[in-house]
Amino acid sequence: MFKNNYFIDFFENSPIIMQLVWVFIVMIIFFIMTTIAYLKYLRSFLRKNENLKNKIEKEFETAVINYLYAGNEIDEVSFEQKSIIDQFKSNTSEPFKRDILISTLLKLNYEISGEMAESIHKLYIQTGLLDYSLSKLKSRKWNSIADGIRELTLFHVKEVQDQVKIHINHPKTEVRIAMQLYLINLFHFDGLDFLNNITTPISEWDQIQLLEALQLNSNQRVTSINLWLKSTNNSVVFFALKLAKIYNQYGVRDELIALLDHQNIKIRIDVIHLLSYLNIIDAKIILKNKFNELTLEEQIAFFEMMENLYEIKDKPFILEHILNPNFEIKFSALKILKNLNIEEFNCFKNLTLEPEFVRMVKYIEAN
Amino acid sequence: MKKIVLAEDNSMLSMLLKFRLEKEGYLLLIAENGKETIELIEEHNPELILTDIMMPFVSGLEVISHVRNKLKNQTPIIVFSASGQEEIVLKAFKLGATDFMSKPFSPNELVNRVKKILR
Repeated sequence: MFKNNYFIDFFENSPIIMQLVWVFIVMIIFFIMTTIAYLKYLRSFLRKNENLKNKIEKEFETAVINYLYAGNEIDEVSFEQKSIIDQFKSNTSEPFKRDILISTLLKLNYEISGEMAESIHKLYIQTGLLDYSLSKLKSRKWNSIADGIRELTLFHVKEVQDQVKIHINHPKTEVRIAMQLYLINLFHFDGLDFLNNITTPISEWDQIQLLEALQLNSNQRVTSINLWLKSTNNSVVFFALKLAKIYNQYGVRDELIALLDHQNIKIRIDVIHLLSYLNIIDAKIILKNKFNELTLEEQIAFFEMMENLYEIKDKPFILEHILNPNFEIKFSALKILKNLNIEEFNCFKNLTLEPEFVRMVKYIEAN
Repeated sequence: MKKIVLAEDNSMLSMLLKFRLEKEGYLLLIAENGKETIELIEEHNPELILTDIMMPFVSGLEVISHVRNKLKNQTPIIVFSASGQEEIVLKAFKLGATDFMSKPFSPNELVNRVKKILR
């Protein structure tokens, strides 16, 4: 009692600043104690959850393996399989167990193919997990929609493509890429028909993912890309240009030449690089004739093309540009001239004593 | 009973293959990482080794190298690889792997290959 009074007196007789400091210290101690208690509770909760998850996962793994080996040739679904399906069905009503079951099925789905993989896909449908994935497509949350589409992709559910395609121009890029990967993984090049209707942009990263998914497929038969090269969606044009390069689409020569007049300069430059890669000489003549109308970036891209497609008849044009004010063009012109005719290169190399030109000549001579 | 060591970190795939291969009359010894694999090989001297390329602690390549170079053992080795690991598969063959299967693979096809090798 005496002690308590001492502290109260001490507190009341302290200056106001000291009182505030004491209040602050008590609050901090209270906050730290509460946080420690909460973290301890959280840790034990997560550990308990993890242990429960591991236990359920083991049970599900065993049940799935039993299901795979319980089939017989007489019935489509054997009695034992039916009881395993019923057991799973009763578990799928709980989101926690449903997620564990999906991850268990996927764990094996990634590793095996053939009849057993088909059995896993069947089990996904028979346990009602398909209905849950489809219900996610109608969710208001974008992450649920993307999640649902990813599940349909991983379990190869082709029959619901119309419900997935609804999200073709979804405002969230994560949903769009999930839909695009669904179509490509399940329908390969035929799945690319979404490019006819997409109005939203496809980012560079998403394009890389789509190309990778296409290349992983054994079917490498490319569908026609002509329409996409004429798309009003610039990202579709960029993607079609990448397809044309990877799959050597010489057949779209006319469409590519038409793109040299596209309003987007980046597309025009990409087209020049692609025409060079495909060795389309006609494009070189067209570009040479309108060289002065091109922007500087296009002129540089054109000279890169010339380095690949030069002919002896291009010599006068090259000579016109060995003193071009732009470094890249001048350098390309000198390189081409050396390859065309070394004697003429030797004659022209002393054309000027400008230090940059001299250094350039020395470098080209040495390489 | 012919012994097979299976080195695979996916417990479900291990269980599936164990059921399938034991049904065919083989004894399967399962390891979850490369270190355990080497211990099992040294202890049991199996007739066949099935190993995933990517494993924790000691990789499938190191397992092959250990069997061929340290144990001087010619036990057939089938390697499991994922798509995109073609270069590692070539390294596995250089080290002495007998065969390889790209994941996802069909368990039935694996059984056929095992039977062919252990005939």
